[in-house]
Amino acid sequence: MTSTHRITRAAHLESLNDFREFIKKQCARVPDINEEFLYDVQLAVDEACTNIMTHGYADLNPGSIILDLEIDPDELTVTLTDFGHSFEPSHTPIPDVDAPIEERALGGFGLFFILQSVDAMDYRVTEDGNKMILTKYLRKQLKENNEDRSET
Amino acid sequence: MLKHFRVKPQPEQVVPDLGAISLSLLERDATLPFTIRQLNNLPENVKQRLYRGLIPPTLLTRFAIDPIHWINTNKEPRVFLKADSNSGKVLITARNSSDSSDEFFALELADNSLNGIELNLIVLNDPASLRYSIDETEDGQPTMFGTLNRNLKAEEQAFHAGLAPGQVRAGLGVSRMVFEQIDTFLSMLGHRAYFLEPLTYASAWVFERRGFAYVRGHKLMDDIHHEFQPGGALYQCLDDGSPFRKREQAHTVRGRAWAIHDGILEALNVRWDKIRMVKQIGRNAGVETFPQAEY
Amino acid sequence: MKTEVKHDKNSTIVVVSGTVDALTAPELATVLAEQVADGHVNLIVNLVAVEFMSSAGLRTLLGAVKDSRSHGGDLRIASTNPGIEKVLKMSGFHTIAKVFASQDEAISSFGS
Repeated sequence: MTSTHRITRAAHLESLNDFREFIKKQCARVPDINEEFLYDVQLAVDEACTNIMTHGYADLNPGSIILDLEIDPDELTVTLTDFGHSFEPSHTPIPDVDAPIEERALGGFGLFFILQSVDAMDYRVTEDGNKMILTKYLRKQLKENNEDRSET
Repeated sequence: MLKHFRVKPQPEQVVPDLGAISLSLLERDATLPFTIRQLNNLPENVKQRLYRGLIPPTLLTRFAIDPIHWINTNKEPRVFLKADSNSGKVLITARNSSDSSDEFFALELADNSLNGIELNLIVLNDPASLRYSIDETEDGQPTMFGTLNRNLKAEEQAFHAGLAPGQVRAGLGVSRMVFEQIDTFLSMLGHRAYFLEPLTYASAWVFERRGFAYVRGHKLMDDIHHEFQPGGALYQCLDDGSPFRKREQAHTVRGRAWAIHDGILEALNVRWDKIRMVKQIGRNAGVETFPQAEY
Repeated sequence: MKTEVKHDKNSTIVVVSGTVDALTAPELATVLAEQVADGHVNLIVNLVAVEFMSSAGLRTLLGAVKDSRSHGGDLRIASTNPGIEKVLKMSGFHTIAKVFASQDEAISSFGS
């Protein structure tokens, strides 16, 4: 049984809290989701939204970020849709143009944190927006896999 | 391994250029998105048939217009299609009599530069209601919905009659039906979204309720809401300095829209400009920048 | 986000609570930079009451580590919680700066 929920907010930093609280509220209904899982999801969402806000809508009158959350017994999926500049994969980091030299050397953590926090990330540019799709597998499936392994 | 992302310098054209619509193109893939221009290059009768899908049949029968033939009971044409070959625009209008000022429906869709779809115009008027000439100055110059020039006398009357800025007549109350029809038509065409630029704060609010999100201007809408609260910069400007700057206007969508039309946003150093909205076909974004608003 | 600054004999303790994200991290950066500018170059940042911290918070802390060290001092973390601990570990913070389990241990580390 999949549950889906959606929240849309303006793409400015003040909205980060609303997105995190939304994730917290929806995940609270799922017994399989513990504190660590929740933090991972919140972190991935926060980092991805921050990127959209600071780079995707940079120099623009910020539009919306739509967060779609889908939870089924095996996995949790967050899709973040925005209508700003699209991203593309690169071997060079997005420069943090507001930061002094030392901090720029430290930049680029955002994507790294996202990849550390979720099991799969996909990015698509579509007719109805740029979509970042983050997937995290739920413990139940992992537990079952472990149990199977220990029986053989 | 993917280490970084960077911003793409140019926006991506997601909908491809496909050439003329042929049977073999149709047979190739049921989901290929088509442009308005491709549709407009089809034979006349094919265009008529397809564009019938853009206007809700119920809306036509309400005015005793046959939804297939587009004529009234006296066999007079009442619905008009302008879909020129090689044009990327389509305009459909419908009227209650032979007089064009009795138009109750006008809708224009157009291709944009990325082969996406724009809603350029949507007018849903009650032809039985009183008409206010906000669209013309006293010496007959066009006002462009009050954006180029203003007919202040007519605007004041319209304001007090309960209209929103840009409206010449009261609305028909059929926007939900019409927007669902647009979604259905565009899904038939293979599109996943369409875009528009709201004329006024009131239209932006209506579009939010119809499920639109913002491509640009969501933060501006949030800021406007914040500044119309007591103590805010816009609230302070509702000082009776003009007929469109009354204190109670802070509390309604129409009130705020008239104050914005009157130029109140100069207090925030911005103009009502470059707001852009998007509708994902079949989806409601749930945006509510003015929670529990009274229209 | 809230910060509370307390001056001890050899160090200054900044107790942070709430969330440190891209919105609030600049505020923390200012607080830490002001302390260093005022000559309080031995900083202890207590994060136990921080409910959420993202890479923005991490960048602020690393920037303040550099700042305090370049003025002859240091920045040490006193006391975290599981979420903060994970963020610090993910970025290899422990290889750059010291993290203590308690505020007292962090204070002692600056000597008497």
